[in-house]
Amino acid sequence: MKIWNFFPREALYECYQCARCTGSCPALEVAPAYGPRETILKCLNLGHEAVVQDEKIWLCCTCNVCEDRCPQKIPISDLLVALRNSAARRGNIPGKLSIAIELLAKTGRSMIVHQLDEMRAHHGLDPLPPAPVEEIRQILKKTKLNEVIDF
Amino acid sequence: MKYALYLGCAIPIKYPGFEAATRMVCKRLGIDLIDLPFGCCPPPTSMKLVHYDSWLALAARNICLAEEVGADLLTLCSGCVNTLKEANQVLRKSDSKRRKVNRILEEHNHNFKGTIEVTHILDVLYQDSVVEKLLREKVTDIPLRVGCHYGCHYFRPPQVMYPEELSPAESYVPVKMDHLLSLIGMEPTEYSRKFLCCGSPLGANMDQDAGYAITRQKLFHIHERNIQAISVVCPSCFEQFDMGQIALSRKTKDLPKIPTFYLTQLIGLSLGMSSKEVGLDVHRVKSRKLLETINITG
Repeated sequence: MKIWNFFPREALYECYQCARCTGSCPALEVAPAYGPRETILKCLNLGHEAVVQDEKIWLCCTCNVCEDRCPQKIPISDLLVALRNSAARRGNIPGKLSIAIELLAKTGRSMIVHQLDEMRAHHGLDPLPPAPVEEIRQILKKTKLNEVIDF
Repeated sequence: MKYALYLGCAIPIKYPGFEAATRMVCKRLGIDLIDLPFGCCPPPTSMKLVHYDSWLALAARNICLAEEVGADLLTLCSGCVNTLKEANQVLRKSDSKRRKVNRILEEHNHNFKGTIEVTHILDVLYQDSVVEKLLREKVTDIPLRVGCHYGCHYFRPPQVMYPEELSPAESYVPVKMDHLLSLIGMEPTEYSRKFLCCGSPLGANMDQDAGYAITRQKLFHIHERNIQAISVVCPSCFEQFDMGQIALSRKTKDLPKIPTFYLTQLIGLSLGMSSKEVGLDVHRVKSRKLLETINITG
């Protein structure tokens, strides 16, 4: 996967390491994350190949506040999406997340519960029509999701 | 006024009360809803991070269904609106991505054209004609201090979500929920960290405790302003505040619990629906006592 198709490589050099992104990062406050500033610095100094092997890149809320506050208008969230797409392809993906994707591919929805009809009836709602599972599976086969997640 | 109702996954499955409240509120306010065989959006916090092409193709399929009936997509979740708005924009702008997606979808008789808009229940309710109807139909005020939480994906990145409404600094600060709730007698109250994450994606993907630590920080600031009710427009944010307060209270009991409401539940109450009708009975943090203080019962 070519991550520079998702994020303009030159934009890394726009970063002057002011750390406004990292100062705003909610994940960094509660978990041993790198924060966007350090992620960009590592991409510059170590290369993104090294960065995508690190499981810490998943410690992110995807809240986009880093990008919103970046004085250089660097599309940080595009970089973080690209890095994690590349990481997932190399098998660096949190267990909870790969289970969630597998469920989506198999059921067409990102969650299931027991006694759904009863729950919906409690609120006066009809049963939920089945998801178009087969169509979704076929689409995901063609987009080659199975190169990353078995389903 | 007619929309294709995009329920997503969490609302019809985990929080059907929000769906019931939304359908009733829309009916009362003259908003017609069409149900279509949609699939998962899929979330900007899961599929997009793992496999972008799959994310884009599934989102395109959902948009195509709405295009085929010529109705704009009405979403009820900050995550769904983020995915579907961004995919709609990406596919309109990029000929190569649109061609690639259409090659995949053509076997299923779909073809993305870019003919409809994606919107969110908050933006739909905020339209002048709907607000006028709401003011006419309203039967009771809800005089509570409310803290609004919009959910990051509802408005960020602003260039994607609200490109027409950017400030000179290319930013967008959402106000519609505060305005709307003030119309039903609520007192929208500012609090620190209002526009920051609820903690849900971090909890769902990586570490539940770390996610709740973020929620706890927000709750601290919400308490600081003596806020009595939290209002959200996203089922993931809702779960983070509702279930989160139960989980956090098992560890420390220092903060009293604050009931969380989905926007259309509050609008429904103001239109005279009962708390059971709008689905408040199944919330983990109960609102019965609070609502009794303002004479809303049942």
